[in-house]
Amino acid sequence: MSDHGTHSHGPVTRSGESADETLQHSIESEHGDHHAHGGLGKYLLVFLALCGLTTMSFFTYSPAWPWRDQPQVGWTFMMAVSCTKAMLVILFFMHVWWEANWKYVLTIPAAMMALFLAIMLIPDVGMRNRMVSQERALHMARGADLKVLEKASTEGPFAVQAH
Amino acid sequence: MWLFLSTEIMFFAALLGSYVVLRFGAPIWPKPHHVHLSEPIGAFNTFVLICSSVTVVLALEAARANKASLAKIWMLLTLLLGTLFLGVKGYEYSAKFSHGIYPAMPHSRIYERPDLYYGSAVRARLDELRKTPVGQVPSALRDPADAEAKSGDTVDLLQRLDAAPADRLSADQETARTRLQQIQKMVMSPDQQAFDMAVVADQVMPLPAEGASHGGGHGAHGLNDAFPWLRLPTVIPGGNMWASTYFLLTGFHAIHVAVGLLVFGIMCTWTLNAKRVGAIENIGLYWHFVDLVWIFLFPLMYLF
Repeated sequence: MSDHGTHSHGPVTRSGESADETLQHSIESEHGDHHAHGGLGKYLLVFLALCGLTTMSFFTYSPAWPWRDQPQVGWTFMMAVSCTKAMLVILFFMHVWWEANWKYVLTIPAAMMALFLAIMLIPDVGMRNRMVSQERALHMARGADLKVLEKASTEGPFAVQAH
Repeated sequence: MWLFLSTEIMFFAALLGSYVVLRFGAPIWPKPHHVHLSEPIGAFNTFVLICSSVTVVLALEAARANKASLAKIWMLLTLLLGTLFLGVKGYEYSAKFSHGIYPAMPHSRIYERPDLYYGSAVRARLDELRKTPVGQVPSALRDPADAEAKSGDTVDLLQRLDAAPADRLSADQETARTRLQQIQKMVMSPDQQAFDMAVVADQVMPLPAEGASHGGGHGAHGLNDAFPWLRLPTVIPGGNMWASTYFLLTGFHAIHVAVGLLVFGIMCTWTLNAKRVGAIENIGLYWHFVDLVWIFLFPLMYLF
């Protein structure tokens, strides 16, 4: 990023460009990135990487995934893969790689606020089931219900006929 | 455009954040196969969106090079891929609806626990079936006499099913018929046990075992699958919260996709030369953002 646009405000100028070219840029494109900088090859490479990464996160679902009994490992892995994919899309498809830094002034605070928002939900929403009324607890599903259903399926009166 | 996108970041991050918080705060959350989600279909949709992101980028590049017809081809391809995404999403939604998975009552048939409350809901539905209006009788159980019936007349569908000749039923349906009779006895019995209700729930719609293939969620193994008109209440622990968040998140995403398609549709009528670069770039940014949201939605919804 920094090798292209070092200015953090105003119309984007690039080092080594004459004033005329700079003017041309601001007329032709509000982002000043009208040069063909991607090329088919680069986009194809990014596309293949995205496909490969999708297959990787899909792999956590396959029986070959070694951490099947620890879902947290898979979750972390998938989020890492998703963030990588997001970075690829933002940097190359959304052309941020060739942009100046001012775009981050908008997006990074927005992303941070979004993160804070999610964190602020934890005490009220995330922990809402720590303390519940007896009546609510009576109708609330829990892990035991799943076990009972599984037992009904394998040991119930129709188990032999059904399976 | 970037200002708009940053508001969109906050909008979707709030939705995704609430989903994550709700999901991990819940005492139990259904596994993807419990709610008939198909991972391969989700992965396919991810692939479709990634492809459409590439085509829109190529449309932009073609327009920059002033190749209007090439740009239009890429734009049309994007439109096609986006429509494909929505079509697959619609198919998935229909699979949910056919299993009684809706975000809210009265369409939703999800009960949280196989308890006596669930049993009474099954009883209520069975009573309803005994008084089905003539117009709503499924074609397989229709009687020639129905044609002469008055509009206010009702039919006892359960009795009619019991009386139906065996040759009008498939082998699966015949087993299901006997099963249904046994279940009726169980929910009517005065000395029923809590475990009986779990057996009933398992018969109405079994929760598929992990790794079971269910071809897009249209598998047929429960009573509700054998006779779709039964529409008996089902038990999916944690299913209601799941349905609410699933339909909200994917629904808002689908609306964004639809808006994008609308703009692509309009653009396909333009001459996409170098003068339109700004417009294509902006819709492209929007479209990549929609792709971005799906990149996070897919693992969170289908694989977690």
